[in-house]
Parts: sequence; C-alpha cells; structure tokens
Amino acid sequence: MKPRAVTSDVLLGMVPIALLIGLWQAIDTFGYAPTSLLPPPGAVFLRLLRQLFTSEYQQEIAATLFRLFTGFAIAVILGVGVGLAAAVSPAVNAVVRPLVRVLAPLPKVALYPAMLLLLGFGHESKITLVAADALFPILLATYYGASMVEQKLIWSAMAAGTPHGQILFKVVLPAAAPSILTGCRIGLVISCIVVFLAEMITSTDGLGHVLVTAARTFQAVDMFVPLITISLLGLVLNGLLQGLRSYLLRGFPEV
Amino acid sequence: MTLLRAAVSRLAPLLACLGLLGVWQVAALILDTDSFPTALDAIRAIPSILGDKESLINILASLRRMAIGFGLAVMVSIPLGLMMGRSRGVAAFFNPLLMIIYPVPKAALMPIIMLWLGVGDVSKTLVIFLGVSLPVIYHSFEGGKAVEEKMLWSGAAMGLSGAQRMIRIVLPAALPEILTGCRTGLVLALITMVTSEMIARQSGAGNILFNALDMGPYDTVFAMIIIIGAMGIGLDAAFEKMRGRLVKWSEPRFDLPLSFS
Repeated sequence: MKPRAVTSDVLLGMVPIALLIGLWQAIDTFGYAPTSLLPPPGAVFLRLLRQLFTSEYQQEIAATLFRLFTGFAIAVILGVGVGLAAAVSPAVNAVVRPLVRVLAPLPKVALYPAMLLLLGFGHESKITLVAADALFPILLATYYGASMVEQKLIWSAMAAGTPHGQILFKVVLPAAAPSILTGCRIGLVISCIVVFLAEMITSTDGLGHVLVTAARTFQAVDMFVPLITISLLGLVLNGLLQGLRSYLLRGFPEV
Repeated sequence: MTLLRAAVSRLAPLLACLGLLGVWQVAALILDTDSFPTALDAIRAIPSILGDKESLINILASLRRMAIGFGLAVMVSIPLGLMMGRSRGVAAFFNPLLMIIYPVPKAALMPIIMLWLGVGDVSKTLVIFLGVSLPVIYHSFEGGKAVEEKMLWSGAAMGLSGAQRMIRIVLPAALPEILTGCRTGLVLALITMVTSEMIARQSGAGNILFNALDMGPYDTVFAMIIIIGAMGIGLDAAFEKMRGRLVKWSEPRFDLPLSFS
C-alpha cells in the first residue's frame, strides 16, 4: 500500500470518532441531556489527564495490568503447549478435543462465583478468570496453525537430518507462529475485557472498581474515565503485540 | 470398527461432561468445605430452581432479551460487515472506531446506560446488542473480503446490479465465515446477558446466580452455574447443527466458538 493511501485511510477513520465526540459535545451544548448524566467530553478528558498523574489512579492501573498480564501469560503458555500437543499427538487430541468442545462455549463469567468461593477475593480468582477466558482462542489458533503445517516441510526437515525431537520446535512452531499470534491478539483483547469485569464483580481495586465506585455515587465523569482508560490500554497493548508480531514474523510472506 | 469409532466420537463431548462432573465430585469430597458443594448436591438443587415459577419466568425473560439482542445485532452487523469487506473506504471509515470499542467490556457500559435508560429490558438488550455486534461484524468483514473477484466480475458481466451481487454472490460466499461469527456472538450474548443482569440486579438468570452468592445457599450458586453452562453448550450445539445444514458445501473446519464478554 502506498503511504499516501494509508494517510487518507487514517484520516477517513478519524471521521466517525470525531463525529461521535462532536455529537456528544452537541448533546451537552444544546442541553438535550443534563451534564450530570452525560458530562461534556472536554470535562471527561481533562479528568482523565488529571487522574493519570495521581498515584492512586496509577496504582489501580497497576493492579489491573498485573492481573491482565499474569492471566494472559498463563493462557499463552497453556494454550500454546496444549494446542501443540493436541496437534502432534493423537492420544492428547482424543482427550483435549471433547473437553474443549464442552468448555469453550461455557460462559466463563458464570464460573466466576465458583472461583470466588474456592480462591477468595484476591488476585487468584481474577487471574484464573482471565486465564480461563483467554485460553481457548489461543489454544484453538495454535491447534489450527500447527495441524495446518505442510507435511512436506516436516519431511524435508527429516530428510535433512533434523532429530525427531527438534522438529516440533524447528519446523512446527515457527510455521504455526502467524496463527498463534493471531490467537494471542484475540486473547489479549479478551483479557482486557475480562479483567475489568472481574474487578467490577468483586470490587476490591483496579479500574473496574473505580467504575463501580463512581456508579454507586453517581459521578458520571468518573464513570467514563476508567472506560476510556481500558480502551486506551487495549489499543496500546494491541500496538505492542503488533510490533512483536512484525518482529517475529520478519521474513514471512505477508499474512 | 468405524461404527464404534463414530459412536465414540459422537459421545465424546458427553463423556467429557461426565468426566468434568466426576472431577468436581472428587475435588469437593477431598476439599470438604461448605462453600464447595459436591456435583451431586448441585445437581439435586436444579429441580427446585427450575420448579420455582418465579425463577423460571426470570430465566425465560433473560432468554427473550438475549434472543432480541442477538437478532437485532445480526441484522445490523452482517450487512455492515459485508460492506466493509467489499469497500476499502467503508472499512477505513469504521475500522478505527471498532478498534477503540473492542477492548471496552460491553457489560461495563451497563452502569452508564442504566443512568439514561433505566434498569429495564431496553438497557439490557442494548448491551447484549453491543456485545454481539463486534464479532459478527468482524467475521462478516473477513468473509466479505475473501470473496473471489472473478465471481463478482462474472456476476457483473451477466448484468447483476451492485445490490444483487451483494445478495446473490457475496452473502452466500461469505456465509461460512459469517456463521462462525454468529456462533461466537451467540455465546457472547449469553455471557453479556449474565453480566448485565449481575450489574443491574433486578431480574434474570444472572441475578439469581449472584444473589445466591451473596446470600449463601451455595448449592443454588453451583446449580445455577450448571444451568447457565448447559444453556451455553446446548445453544452452541444447536447452532452448530443448523450451521452444518446451511453450509453443507463448505469444507468442515475445526472451529469452536470463542467466548468472552
């Protein structure tokens, strides 16, 4: 794609966002909604900026990020491991497949009360929920990517004398990398969403807690701030993952 | 032998369910705490929930909201996603907006929407609508993008108008991908339903679940988890069956719904 086309695409993409914020401002300016229900965008962004520099709000963000990363990391390790194993070994596949078939469509949020009762209100239950929700997209993408690896690649590696045990890491894993990274991307977005929800349900700390506190005291401005924060966090993390992807997949044909 | 294998593969999910319940039973017996009833206790509590008229009405009301939210979302998202897939301009227009909305938990919008629309059906249905839309738009977009240009050219050469090409070529060609999105959306609708009712504690299946958690009859909590889980698995299996009929011609793929909120 030419650079000029990219800039015009970006500009075009800014239009609906600008329109939305314009509409939001207009509703307030012309008095269709009281500012207690819909605070003007300027006030919300100002509040966000101010909050970002207070240490309390930074601590809430840190708590959220800690749970997000831990849960996501567990999901990546388990998902890639089990996905690869299921793709390589028929025995593992026979066990994993029906389990995934049952567990993937299960609404994990409904399991959260059980996790609470078992693991308590601290980090553990929230991290478990994040990991449980992020696990399946990563597992499925890994399985799908690894079982799509061309048999010819494996044969030529064997013919070239690669030991049997190393084929998994030298051929299958790199060949499945694009699919795995796509799965990780979905898993990351899910982690953002789920960590926030978990913090709303058992409101101890974190961004979800900020929203619940604001909702209980009807502080509309403070309700928007954590939502915008999680959206920004999602964008930044997505960008980082995208960077990692283009670094890891350098030399791959464009996918 | 093949017959036996087919029977096993059909029964495998059922075996997996039984296995999970078995693990639960054993774990509960080993841990032996009040807050973790055994699987049998939880299953025994199900009839009393489903037998209670008020809870049953509550659960049915939840399902109705879910169906309406899901139906509306599908009707809006498929055309939008297909148009994004066929036109670069439309895609460039909507993509950044969707990227911003994606990491926001839709159920977390519930407190704000409740301020405007109250705690009634409208706000819950709206949240479900928002939750379902994104995956359906995304998959329709991918499906629409992957339609072969040659088919469209031949359609145009045979005198189909733009709208006709959309309905008679793009829609069927993208259908397998669209249905994958709908399947994800269906599970999401269930999840958003539970979370929205948990936040707006007024009625519904989520309300029963989290009220039981607060009040303490733990076998009700776990019975409700089984009921909601069974709904998820049942809806997914039913949808999969329907999808199999609709897109018999497309090659079967190992794709499972991704569930998140």
